[in-house]
Formats: sequence, structure tokens, C-alpha cells
Amino acid sequence: GAVAILPAPQNLSVHSTNMKHLLIWSPVIIPGETVYYSVEYQGEYESLYTSHVWIPSSWCSLMEEPECDVTDDITATVPYNLRVRATLGSQSSAWSTLTQPFNRNSTILTPPGMELTKDGFHLVIELEDLGPQFEFLVAYWKREAGAKEHVKTVSSGGIPLHLVTMEPGAAYCVKAQTFVKAIGRHSAFSQAECVEVQGEVLPL
Amino acid sequence: QEFRFGSCRAKGVDLQELWEAFWAVKDAVQAQDNITSARLLRREVLQDVSDAESCHLIQALLKFYLNTVFKHYYKRTVEFRTLKSFSTLANNFIAIKSQLRPSQENEMFPVTERARGRFLLFQRAFRRLDREAAVTKAFGEVDILLTWMERFYRL
Amino acid sequence: PCVSGGLPKPTNVTFLSINMKNILQWNPPEGLQGIEVTYTVQYFIYGQKKWLNKSECSNISRTYCDLSAETSDYEHQYYAKVKAIWEANCSKWAETGRFYPFLETQIGPPEVALTTEEKSISIVLTAPEKWKRNPEDSSVSMQQIYSNLKYNVSICNTKSNRMWSQCVTNHTLVLTWLEPNTLYCVHVASFVPGPPRPARPSEKQCVRTLKDQSSEFKVK
Repeated sequence: GAVAILPAPQNLSVHSTNMKHLLIWSPVIIPGETVYYSVEYQGEYESLYTSHVWIPSSWCSLMEEPECDVTDDITATVPYNLRVRATLGSQSSAWSTLTQPFNRNSTILTPPGMELTKDGFHLVIELEDLGPQFEFLVAYWKREAGAKEHVKTVSSGGIPLHLVTMEPGAAYCVKAQTFVKAIGRHSAFSQAECVEVQGEVLPL
Repeated sequence: QEFRFGSCRAKGVDLQELWEAFWAVKDAVQAQDNITSARLLRREVLQDVSDAESCHLIQALLKFYLNTVFKHYYKRTVEFRTLKSFSTLANNFIAIKSQLRPSQENEMFPVTERARGRFLLFQRAFRRLDREAAVTKAFGEVDILLTWMERFYRL
Repeated sequence: PCVSGGLPKPTNVTFLSINMKNILQWNPPEGLQGIEVTYTVQYFIYGQKKWLNKSECSNISRTYCDLSAETSDYEHQYYAKVKAIWEANCSKWAETGRFYPFLETQIGPPEVALTTEEKSISIVLTAPEKWKRNPEDSSVSMQQIYSNLKYNVSICNTKSNRMWSQCVTNHTLVLTWLEPNTLYCVHVASFVPGPPRPARPSEKQCVRTLKDQSSEFKVK
């Protein structure tokens, strides 16, 4: 009937970086008309035990953009089926389903941004706030021959954290990587950054 | 971070996600449970479970939740927010269960029998109730189950 | 016996729980201003058979009732209910949801003791104590109940106006190489992974590092 006239969205794919998952597709073009899209998902449980059940995406019902942030829908490290359909007025297209199920353990993990500051002899680090699923491994060492590398686990980004009390006159270097518990994977380390500590002001 | 149920390991699960999923629907789901005089996950089911028993017990409980509790709960027209929490719990339970490899060696027989006995206590209590009420009660007791599972979650 | 339903029910019946001190609290029924209403409380252990009376909370005029003793087995789950009474009339029962002390009690802040040196501050934390029935009962620390209890220590240098935090599990923390004769402010919050719990940070405490002894010597 009339429903089949509206073409289904094509070229579905997921771009996932740092556990933010964006489903995108080619827009359905109907000259002079605005086409809306709706997204649904199905985890491994639904596909195995209740295959007829599809769950509407949290943020993408009847929206205009040909993309959908499905981060809040993908809440387990199992394969997820995703599907999209177009709607124009009372007409809806067929569902178009992602060819390969998406698993969040394939997300791309980038080294975290970090900001180093000093408060006197105290080296303070603030790591990029990437959300509650992220922890950070911070490695720091004194810049001298044979220096030992120390490692600290930081459980959250977005707040200044005390890293180390520095010795006067020394230089310290720091690098960091993210760790995501839910998928058990690390990012690469960031570039090392170094800071110098002023020598102690000796009395005249 | 992983679950260590005796010799069994399960990675790739962020327990905080499960807590938040259940907490979002706890009050609504527990309010639907009117049979307050019955508790499925009673002390005798979960107290003093040895490491060796824990893998057998958790496997049986997760299997039951996946095959019976969640499956039945889906048939209802559940409110959208509940369905989402539901899906998070069910898919994470699958992620855990698929990694469990309980030992099947003969000398483990007494251990598996003790674990089975605990599970049967739970299952009998479930079967004493009307199916709808039992499913609601089992889902409302996921906080008891997660509290017990958290003891085996190693940072 | 009173005529049930003759009065409107109390509202917002909830447990306020901090360190396992579990207080049932409620709002008076609406529309009864000026009337001397009294209340009666009962509680119930999930999975058991009967509602139980709390004798100290029968016909009381206050709008709270301490059920800490009755709900002290924190691995159990509980319900409580209250009804309003006035002369021969009483309301229907107003009930709480299912209350799970182990998951819902708020973890109070630790006790914070600060001592200063010239360029350092020692912070000694004492874990919050679990509610106890009698003052002379032996103390149980919340750390004994929650082995994964952590502390989030926030430190502010009031001269540089710099703030930083540290997440610690042990009870002593020494901040060295601080600026002498500088006011530092500290507050600490307890944290337990798991279900979301409201945080209750400690009062902010400020302490000044000692003057730089060598500059003292120079002045003389």
C-alpha cells in the first residue's frame, strides 16, 4: 500500500569514539518535504529471547537529522541490532536494519586531554571528563636519568586532582591513558607533558 | 574490574550501570509487589555461599532470570522507562552468564549439590506464587541479587 | 478502635537514614490545622508475616519515629506505616516503599582532625560510626560494613585560590611542601560505590600553616 512508497533509509553505520555511539544513515530526500526518522534497538537478550521486541531509542523518535546518538541505549557489552525508518506525514517506510550488530567494545579510545597545574610544590592534574565509565591511568616520573615511573589510577575526570608533591628544583613529566571497565580496554597514552618546579627560596 | 565467582571470571560489566538501571525503576516495580510476606532470595539462599559454590549458584540464578523472569516480564506492556532498565539488566546478565564456566569435575559434586539446593529454595518459593506476582517479586528483588553479586566484584 | 478513613492520611512517609540511624518521618494530613492529631506507627520485615507495633510511637503527636533498633539488621528489608488519630476517627495507613538500609543509608562524613607544621598539614580521618542502641555499646565503624568505603578529600589553598582533591581509602594523609603561613581549607565526603546515595560532606575546616621559621630568624 501507500506505506511502501517512502524509501527506507540506506547506508546505516555506527561511529563510536570514547563510548559515544552515533548511528548515521543517508537521508531520504523528498523534494519540498521534511522527512522524519525513528530509531529502535534490540540487545542480544531481545534478539535471542524475545526477537519480536524492539525498544524505541531514548532520543530519536520522529527527528529530522539523519543521525542518532544511541549511547544511552547501548548499555551492555553485547551485540545490538539497530534499525531506522522514515516517516512523512502518515506514511512510514520499511525499517532499515544495521547490517552488522554493533558491540560497544569496538569503540575507538583516544588518549585523554589533560591539564597540569602547580600549586607551589604540588602537581595537580585535571583530566578530560569523558563520563562515568572512564577511569584513567596516570604515569609520572622525575625527569632525570634512571628515574622510576609511578602510576596512579584516577577514577574521574573533570576535577583537579593532586598527583604528587614535587621536590624543589626538579622537573616532572606526566602522561595518561583511559580505561573503560565496561569493555576492559585502554586507550593509548597521551603525549608526555613536563613541568619544572622552582627551587626553594633560600633565606638571604 | 571483573566478577570472580570462585574460579569463574566475568569481565566487561560495569556494575554501576546495573545499579543505576535498577534504581531508576526500583520504587515502581517494588510497589507492584503486594505479597510482602514472601521473599524469594531469602537468607538461606545467599548467605555464607562458598567461593566454590558461587559460580554454580550465580549461573543458575542468571539462567532463571533470563529464561523465566525477564522473558515473562517482556510480555506485559511495561512502561517505557522500565523496559529500558529491563533491557540493560537482561543484556548485562547475558554478558556475565556467557562467560561463566563452572567446573563439572566429579569431586565438585557436593559443592554443586549445595548450590543446587540453594537455588531450589529460591525456585520453590517462586513457584508457590502466581506467575505474574512471582515475576514481579523476582524483578523487585534484583537489589538483593546485585548486593550479593557485588561481593564477588573485584576492583 | 477508631473509625478508619475518617481522617486524611499522613503524607510523604519516608525513612531518613544516616549511618543506619533510621528515622521514619511524615507530614501531617492536609486540612487538619489546629486539630490535635496523634499518630501510631507499625513496621514490617519483608518476607515475614505480621506488622509489628512500636510501642514508643503509639498515640504520639510528633511527626517522626526512631525505628533504628527495629531495622538494625541491615540485610533485611522493611516497610513502615503510620496513621493519624483524632478522637474517634483515624486515617487509613500511609505506608513507605520497601526500605533496604544496607543500600539506602547515607554514609556520613568521617571525623576530620587537622594538625599543621610549617609546610605541611596532617589530615587524620575517623570513619563514621554506625548507629548504636546504647552509648555504652561497642562502636561499629561504617568501614566494617562497607569495605569499599572511600573518602574524597578536597583541599583549597585560600592564597592561590587553588582547589584540588584526592580520593583515599586509608585514614591518614600528609600534605607536604605547602606554603608557610597560609590558610588551607579541607572538607571530606565518604563514598561507597553502588546505588546512588546522597552525599553528606563534612563541615569545611580551615587551618593555617606555621610561619616560615627561617624568615623569623632573619627578622631578628
